[in-house]
Amino acid sequence: MMTEDRLSMVFAALADPTRRAIIARLAEGDATVTELAEPFSISLPAISRHLKVLERAGLISRSRSGQWRSSTLEAAPLKEATDWMERYRIFWDASFDRLNEHLRRVQQDRARQGQAQDTEKGARQ
Amino acid sequence: MTPEPTYELEISRIFDAPRELVYQAFVDPDQLAEWFGPVGWLVPRDTVEVDARPGGYQRFVMVNAQDPSQRSPVDATFTEVIPNELLVGEQSAEGIQGFEGIATMTLRLEFHDEPGGKTRLELRQGPFSREMEAGSREGWNSSFGKLDDVLAARA
Repeated sequence: MMTEDRLSMVFAALADPTRRAIIARLAEGDATVTELAEPFSISLPAISRHLKVLERAGLISRSRSGQWRSSTLEAAPLKEATDWMERYRIFWDASFDRLNEHLRRVQQDRARQGQAQDTEKGARQ
Repeated sequence: MTPEPTYELEISRIFDAPRELVYQAFVDPDQLAEWFGPVGWLVPRDTVEVDARPGGYQRFVMVNAQDPSQRSPVDATFTEVIPNELLVGEQSAEGIQGFEGIATMTLRLEFHDEPGGKTRLELRQGPFSREMEAGSREGWNSSFGKLDDVLAARA
């Protein structure tokens, strides 16, 4: 199990659209910095910085073969992140059951007040 | 079959109440304290503060009813507010060196009319706020659809 801090680092890494694009690209297979930079209008050093963030979060690993350094997607931390999101689903489903009950009570109270006002009006007329 | 993994949570739910009432349940502190959190958790009314406008906040503390030492504070900032229609809030992942201000969890709540005076609530929660603003959501969904397949195969 990842620690909360590690999970925070994963989400921090995922919070940037360029880094998500890099991850999506690596899902198709390993790639070098040059290959990863292709779809973007940003410099190689900028891509390298993004890769460093992804590596620190454990989302990718990097290997050097000859002069090419290629990046590989690490699936396990991503899986942890998605499992973490699932906990939120359970949380919201349970909360919304209570919201449903709450809304029913609010509307019943309103209907009762409305009836009381109608009765008052009727009595005045 | 297990559901496909995604970094974004999406929940759609229909409530048998008009839109205004459902919206109020999120921004009226008295009401929020009544219902928020699963069974077994309380939101003490005196911990709730809501300022429902862009730049405003929603703060409260969830307390475990059995063990009050278990407390889960929520401190979100509203980035978008359209009364009775839309609430978007961000909560920062604090205390991580080198990532200050980068990581934010975004919660988006859309309130839609449904026939018969009902309301469909669309909830979206995740780390994905910026590409939504850029309007390239569809492209991302297809990228991540592919990624989901990869993850499912490797998991």
